[in-house]
Amino acid sequence: MYITEVKNGNKYEIEIIPVDPTDLKSITKEKYFFNWKLEKDYYLYKLLIKGHSEILGLVSFEINPDEWRIHIRLLSVSTQNKGKGKHYERIVGNLLTFISKMAIKEFAELACVSLKPKGVIAQHYIDEYGMNITGSTLSLELVEILDIIQRYDI
Amino acid sequence: MKTSKTAEKITYPEYGVDSRYKSIDKKLSDGENLMEARLKRLRGLSRKQIIKAKLLQLKLKMEDYVKQPVYEEYNFFTSFLSDYIDTIYEKRVMFAKDINITPVSLSQILNNHREPKEEFMFRLMLHSELTFKSICEFQKRTWYQVYYHEKICDTMANQNEWKPTEKKNVKIKNAVLK
Repeated sequence: MYITEVKNGNKYEIEIIPVDPTDLKSITKEKYFFNWKLEKDYYLYKLLIKGHSEILGLVSFEINPDEWRIHIRLLSVSTQNKGKGKHYERIVGNLLTFISKMAIKEFAELACVSLKPKGVIAQHYIDEYGMNITGSTLSLELVEILDIIQRYDI
Repeated sequence: MKTSKTAEKITYPEYGVDSRYKSIDKKLSDGENLMEARLKRLRGLSRKQIIKAKLLQLKLKMEDYVKQPVYEEYNFFTSFLSDYIDTIYEKRVMFAKDINITPVSLSQILNNHREPKEEFMFRLMLHSELTFKSICEFQKRTWYQVYYHEKICDTMANQNEWKPTEKKNVKIKNAVLK
């Protein structure tokens, strides 16, 4: 899995690994939009370029085995990777792919990844990742999961 | 009026998502609605899609297994192998036929009564290559990695059983170490 540097198109291999409790000090709301310290009791992972320590993206989630589902609680890129001036592309796609692979590993064809974005953000996720809409919940299910894995897990 | 901060968030929606629930009731009702919709969509899955999902699951589990030491009294290699065969064949004998071995030898391997021979591993790797070709990248060596990883873990976990006997047979008296 890789991300692309916007200014020159260079690709960098990434890794997504658990957040270490010592990381939490540097994961501030200013840099990562949310108060991630509240997520320390949930699954919490960070995206890095392999061999580097700078956190480019974060995701927290809960696994609900009774519903064969992983629900994403928070997901964000770092402030430097948001908007027009962002340094890297594909951070969110890679985080969603990582969760999707985990869902497949746990639940095979029953796998589901859900999230609940609001307004324009929801539409973006529907357009970009083909998410299903159920009320205000968006989900990636088998068809979309296979698709996102094919797009990003390379 | 929207603040510039909010406007920017909306213009660039990929900055992040907050999907946390404030109410348990809402969380449960959303879960129920989603499940109802998913069950309908699940009914529309083709057999091919289901097989793809199971094979992908198997690959991910195998890759995970070889990443860390697992000290369990469990036959991982044959368990993964059984899952592989049962996912893509209705009868195990058909797999034996496809890789040109006897059903008896396959059964002995699957029941841990015999170690797989090198030819078996070669054919299994070639078979997997064909199977996974249209699904996802599958490293042929994964089967070997699983097999040897299990051997290493078992050996290290059972040191108390083999070490006292074997220790008597080992010395470095004749080595050129001094």
